Amino acid sequence: MTPPLLELIKTRTVLLDGAMGTELMARGLGMGTPPELWNAERPESVREVHAAYFEAGSDVVSTNSFGGTPLKLAAHGLQARAYELNRAAARLAREAAPAGRFVAGSMGPIGKFLEPQGPAKAAEFVAAYAEQARGLADGGVDVFLVETQYDLREALAAVHGAQSVSRLPVFVTMTFNSFPRGYFTLMGDPVARSVAELEKAGVAAAGANCTLTSRQMVGCVRALRSATALPIIAQANAGQPVIGPDGVVGYTQSLEDYVRFVPAIIQAGAGFIGGCCGTNPAFIRAMARAIQKERS
Amino acid sequence: MTKNELFPKMNEAIVAGDRAAARSLAEEAARSGLDLLEVIDQGYLPGIQRVGELWEQGEYFLPELISSAEAMKAAMSVIDPELHRMHVGSRMGGKVVIGTVEGDIHDIGKNLVASMLQAGGFEVIDLGADVKLERFIETAEAAGAGMICLSALLTTTMMNQRRLIGLLRDRGLRDKYKVLVGGAPASRKWAEEIGADGYAENAVAAVKLAKSMAGRP
Repeated sequence: MTPPLLELIKTRTVLLDGAMGTELMARGLGMGTPPELWNAERPESVREVHAAYFEAGSDVVSTNSFGGTPLKLAAHGLQARAYELNRAAARLAREAAPAGRFVAGSMGPIGKFLEPQGPAKAAEFVAAYAEQARGLADGGVDVFLVETQYDLREALAAVHGAQSVSRLPVFVTMTFNSFPRGYFTLMGDPVARSVAELEKAGVAAAGANCTLTSRQMVGCVRALRSATALPIIAQANAGQPVIGPDGVVGYTQSLEDYVRFVPAIIQAGAGFIGGCCGTNPAFIRAMARAIQKERS
Repeated sequence: MTKNELFPKMNEAIVAGDRAAARSLAEEAARSGLDLLEVIDQGYLPGIQRVGELWEQGEYFLPELISSAEAMKAAMSVIDPELHRMHVGSRMGGKVVIGTVEGDIHDIGKNLVASMLQAGGFEVIDLGADVKLERFIETAEAAGAGMICLSALLTTTMMNQRRLIGLLRDRGLRDKYKVLVGGAPASRKWAEEIGADGYAENAVAAVKLAKSMAGRP
């Protein structure tokens, strides 16, 4: 049986959510505290963010587990709690989800380089992602969302890790930068090779997130579309972070300017659309309206 | 081989990220009794510069940058002890203390800047990530460094770049150090606002900036 979310994407544009970390900071998450810890210590705040995104129109929210691999949590001495914190992350999103809406288990990069650029071995990454995926699956996610990947080898390790513990679909977003010759990750992975490899690994959807503004995302989605028949995910940044004279953090792309490019992103071929850094429930609400207009 | 034959080969070895070649060419230069400072300056450093250009043009990516920095390190592992024997310092750039500020565990960008600075002829003391602000100052003071480089990837932790400059001022040490800032949320404007000496957008720009701060071409 095809999972319901993969049925839904055949019929219409599916709306994801926006940023999580900044929403938690607005609720008091302090510097140096890993957001995943709040799945155990401040569950009501995490649930509240998910509820705000569902209320704004998200069909799918992603769990508060971006840095939840044991290897990443080890920086805070929390590696032994990876399973528990990921399962809690999934449960909180599940509890906030109205009937017929979905939960994606967020799996962000580990932050160490694989050999030969760094000390890490692919097998360690596979195991770390597997442990995270086990917690997320047991907590009740509908899909895994491997996100913000800058190294295709790590993305594939995450996919294999997830697949080793669960049969749930795996989505992957990679972070591309815009260059005169096209779109490439930090490690130089081009769009076409990235999606081809991901497709071969059996992912159910692939796409791009972070770094690119919604204006730049249009071209990146076009490049993705010409390289794959998979459903495409697009989650652009609202520009780059800047600190105003009052010390308040802002982003270079305003809500109006961000949403202006949503129709073009959909027309370019994105099926799953949502936000990344600098977005919030207000962005998602405006995107929901733009998608509605696009539909009618 | 004469230096006219060696230098282009050294350049090539760096651009290709070929550690073995970079090392054996350095050995050959040492055996032939060439001026090793000239070897660094005209044999290897132009290669690092070329790599920077290729990176800026979007032809090279992070893996190539790292390979080239590693090749440079391999060459220097031969040259440094030789120069040391002759009581000559190879690090014309001086000492640099670098780290990611307190509260921030992101170190990819910082690591890259550290290895490119090293490849560019600086003696780099890398304190790692989540570094207490006090430690930057203590280390710089103890080592006699001239530059402190601060990385921050989060909008929350970049405030610590401002704090470090405040700490230096409080101790009357502000003019003793050049303070450079970097990281995704930082910008030239931010550097100006907090009174830093400079900002670099990426590792290649950081080397250029550090060189100009150190008064090198």
